[in-house]
Amino acid sequence: MNMPTPNLKNEFRIIGKSVKREDVIEKVTGAGSYVSDLKPVGMLYGKIKRADVAHARIRRIDVSKALAYPGVKAVLTHEDVPRVLHYGSPHPRSASCTKDQFILDNKVRFIGEGVAAVAAISEEIADEALDLIEVDYEELPAVFTPEEAIRPGAPLIHDVGPGGNLVLEPVRVERGDVEKGFAEADFVLEGEFSGGRPVPAYMEPNVCLADWDGSNKLTFWTSTQTAFMVRGILAEVLGLPVNKVRVLVDHMGGGFGAKQDCFQHEFLCALLAKATRRPVRMEFTRRETFIAGRSRHPFKLWLKQGFRNDGTITARDMKIVYDSGAYGSHGPGVTIVGTNSATSLYRCENVRLDGRCVYTNTPIAGAFRGYGVVQTYYALDIQMDEAAERLGVDPADLKRKNAVGEGDIAPSGHPIVGRGLEACIEHGIAGFDWKARRSLDRRPDPSRPHIRKGWGVGCEMHGSSAYPGIKEQGNAVVKVNEDGSITLMTGAAGLGTGAHTALAQIVAEELGVLFESVSVVHGDTDAVPWDIGAFASHTTYLVGSAARIAAGKAHSGVLERASAKANVPVEELMLVDGVIHVTGQPGLTMTVAEAMGPSKGIPAANILGKGTYEPTKSYSFAAHFVEVTVDTGTGLVQVDRVMPVHDVGKVIHPIAAQGQIEGGIQQGIGHTLTEDYVIDTTNGRSLNAGLVDYKMPLSMDMPEIDTVILEAAPDPSGPWGAKGVGEDPIIAIGPAIANAIHDAIGVRFRHYPITPEDILNALKQREDQ
Amino acid sequence: MKQIVELIINGDSHDVIVEEHRSLLDTLREEAGLTGTKKGCDVGDCGACTVLVDGQPVNACLMLAVEASGKRVETVEGLQSASGALHPLQDAFMRHGASQCGFCTPGILMMARQLLEENPDPTDEEIRFGLSGNICRCTGYTKIFDAIRSAAQEMRTTRETEVTL
Repeated sequence: MNMPTPNLKNEFRIIGKSVKREDVIEKVTGAGSYVSDLKPVGMLYGKIKRADVAHARIRRIDVSKALAYPGVKAVLTHEDVPRVLHYGSPHPRSASCTKDQFILDNKVRFIGEGVAAVAAISEEIADEALDLIEVDYEELPAVFTPEEAIRPGAPLIHDVGPGGNLVLEPVRVERGDVEKGFAEADFVLEGEFSGGRPVPAYMEPNVCLADWDGSNKLTFWTSTQTAFMVRGILAEVLGLPVNKVRVLVDHMGGGFGAKQDCFQHEFLCALLAKATRRPVRMEFTRRETFIAGRSRHPFKLWLKQGFRNDGTITARDMKIVYDSGAYGSHGPGVTIVGTNSATSLYRCENVRLDGRCVYTNTPIAGAFRGYGVVQTYYALDIQMDEAAERLGVDPADLKRKNAVGEGDIAPSGHPIVGRGLEACIEHGIAGFDWKARRSLDRRPDPSRPHIRKGWGVGCEMHGSSAYPGIKEQGNAVVKVNEDGSITLMTGAAGLGTGAHTALAQIVAEELGVLFESVSVVHGDTDAVPWDIGAFASHTTYLVGSAARIAAGKAHSGVLERASAKANVPVEELMLVDGVIHVTGQPGLTMTVAEAMGPSKGIPAANILGKGTYEPTKSYSFAAHFVEVTVDTGTGLVQVDRVMPVHDVGKVIHPIAAQGQIEGGIQQGIGHTLTEDYVIDTTNGRSLNAGLVDYKMPLSMDMPEIDTVILEAAPDPSGPWGAKGVGEDPIIAIGPAIANAIHDAIGVRFRHYPITPEDILNALKQREDQ
Repeated sequence: MKQIVELIINGDSHDVIVEEHRSLLDTLREEAGLTGTKKGCDVGDCGACTVLVDGQPVNACLMLAVEASGKRVETVEGLQSASGALHPLQDAFMRHGASQCGFCTPGILMMARQLLEENPDPTDEEIRFGLSGNICRCTGYTKIFDAIRSAAQEMRTTRETEVTL
C-alpha cells in the first residue's frame, strides 16, 4: 500500500471551499458536448431490432427486405458478428463480472434483447427497416422470477455458470457461532423483505458514435463511466490492440453506476461503422433505456436475528436472492458486496449469510448506486426498528448502541476507522430535534383524522472503492506549463458529480497554486492515464490521492527549477497561491510563471508529476432522519422533511457533496415510495418503460432537506482523509421512510416501493382483524 | 414532403428544409446545429427540450418545426448576451451547484427564465410548480430552487437599480 505522507495541515486554502465549477459553464450555456450532439459528415443512424419473445432459439432471420430498403446501408445479425463470449461488465477480470454474453446470439433470453442491427441514412429509415426484418423463433419455456428459475427442472437460461440458473456459486459468509448466539438471545426476530426493480433513469439516454479511419483504428464516443474498460473489451472482442481503439467521452448525462457496462449497442455501433465505412451514431430511445439499460437487482431476503434485552445482537442469519435478469452483468459483484455488507452496520459477532444471484428471462439488472447494499441494509435497519419497538426503546438510541465503529471489522475485512456512524446518529438526534418530535402527541387532529405524522431514522455505511472485489488503481498526471498554468490529466469520467472540480482543487492545494490556474483534460483514452472508471464512490478518494501525489511531484519540480534560477536552496522555498517565497526573506518572490519562464533561452522545462495510488478501502457513514405524513384515506405518503447526516471524512467541495446527497435522497424517496420498473411475471413484458408510468419524485414531491456533512472519521487512505459520498445517500433514506411510516400508522412494511395500495390494504387488513 | 421553414432562433433567421413530420427539437439539433437543447425522452415527459416559442415554454419534441414557422424560438444558446455575459440564472446555476450532469439544465433554465419573466418574485411553491414538468435526476432539485431564488433576487435588484438610475 502506498499511503501518501500524513497530512499535517489544518489550514486549507482551496480544499473544503465550494469553488465555482468551471466545467459547468458549458452546461449552462448549451455549449457542452454530449455524444448525441456530435454529427460527423456522412453519419448514419443505427437502430436495434429487439426480440418480442422472452426465451427462444432463432431458427432463421431474413434481412433481405431490410437490406433492399432505400437508405439502408447495413444490417447485422448473429451470423455477421464475432462470436466471442464476453463480460457484460468490463471490470478488469475480477470476481465481480461474468462472461456470458455474445454481441448477438442465436438465442434470445428476454423480451427486448437485440437480435439484429441496422444502419441507415435517417433514424426513420432505420426504424422502418427494423420492421422488415423477419425472425423465425423457436420459443422455449421461460422463467420470470427467481422462485421459478431455481425450481428443479426449470428451463436453463445459460450454458455457463454453476448451473441451476445461478449466476455464481452461492456467497457464504460465516463468523462466530450462530446457533450459540441464538441460544443466548432473549428474543428472536424473523422476517421476509423484498424490493422491486428501480432504474437509474439518468437524463441522457445511452448513446455512442463509432468511426473507423483508414488505418483501421476505431474512434468511439460513448456515454460511459468506464472509458478504458470499454476500450479494453471492444479491442478484445474486435481483435484489435488497445491503441487501435480510442474512446472519448466529454460530458455525460448521468450514469449512477449503470453506465459501467459495455452494452450490446456499443459493439453493434462499432461493427455497423466498420461494415459501412461511415460514422454511425446509435442512441437509445427512452423506452430502450428501460428495456436494454440496467436496473437495480430485485431481491427477496430472509433475516433472523437474536437480541438480548439490553439491545445486543447475539446472532444474525440471512439469506438473500438477487434477480439478475437475463445476464450476469454486475450480479456477482452485487451479490458479493451486498451479502458481505450484512456482516456490518450493526455489530454482531455471530453471523451466517447466504447470498445468491439468479438468472431470469427479464431485462438485465446491473450496477446502480448503493450496489447490493440498498437491499440488505433496508432489511437490517427495519429489523433494528422492530427490535427497538419490542424493547420499548428509542430506535435511534438502539442503533447508536449497536453502530459499528473503531475496533470493528468492516465487510471488506478492514478495520473501521473512527466512529462515523455514531457521530451521524448523535448529530441527527440533536439537529432534528428527534426526541421531542417522537414524543409529540400522536392523537390525530379530529378535523383531519386521516392525516398521521411519523418520524423515522435509517442508517448506512458504504465503502469508498470496490476493493477487495476489484483491485483498484488511480492515476493522474500533472503538467506545469511554461506560463505557470497547470494541466491535470485524468481518465476519470465526469458523470456530473463535480469530480473534475474536486480533483483540480486537490491539485491546486497540494501544488500551492490558485484553483483557477488548474485545467483538467479528461475523457480521451489516447491522451490521459489509464483509469478503472468512475464508480464505487471512489473518484475523489482514489484518483484524488493519485492527483495529490502527482501534484506533490510537480510541486518539487517547480521548486527545483526556481531554486536553480534564483540560486536559493530548495529547502528555503515555499509555494503559496502560485507565488514562490523565500523563507525568512520577505519580499523576495518569484511566480510559478517566472520560474517556468526562459532559462538559458529555453522557455519551459518538462515538469510533469505522475501519481499512481492503490488504496484498500474506507467507509463513509450516514444516518437519515425523516418526517412523513401518511394520508390513511388515500394511502399517499408525503416525505415532509429529511435531515441526512453524512460522515465523508474530509469534504473537498461542500456544495458538490451536498448536491450528491440531495440527489441520492430524491432517488431513495423514489425507490421507497413510487419507483418500480414492472415486468409482467406471466410473460416477461415491460409494463411501464417510460417516464410517465415509471414514477419518479419531481420538484413538487421533494421535501425540505437539511443536509449535514460531518468530518467525523477521516480516513488516511483518502486525500487529507476524504472518503466517498456518491452512493451513500440512497441507502439510509429507504429504511428511514419505512420506519417513519410505521411510526405514523403502526404498520410495518418490509418491501419497497410502499405504494398507496399497500398502505390502504394493510390498514384494511388491520381493521378486519 | 419537405418544405422550407423559417425559424427565428435567438433573434437570427434560419431557413431550414425539413420534412413535415420533423419535430422542432430534431430541427434545432440536427438542422440548425443548436445542440444545447437536449432530447431526454422525445415524447414530452421529461422537459429536457424545453424552449420558448413566442415567449411560451414548449416541449420542442412535441412541436413540429412547421408549426414554429415564422415564430420566435428561444433556446439556451440565446441566454448568454452577445457580449458573453451570463444570464443571472446561468450564473446562479453555477454558483449554487444547480447543474450536475447538466442534461436537464438547458430545459430548466428556459423554464425558469419564463417563470421569472411572468413572476419576478416567486414563492418556493411557485418555483416548484413552475418546474413540475422538468425532470432532474441528479440534484434533488434543492440546489435548483436555491439558484432560481438567488437569480430572481439579483434580477429584481438590477431592475430596481435601473429604475432608480
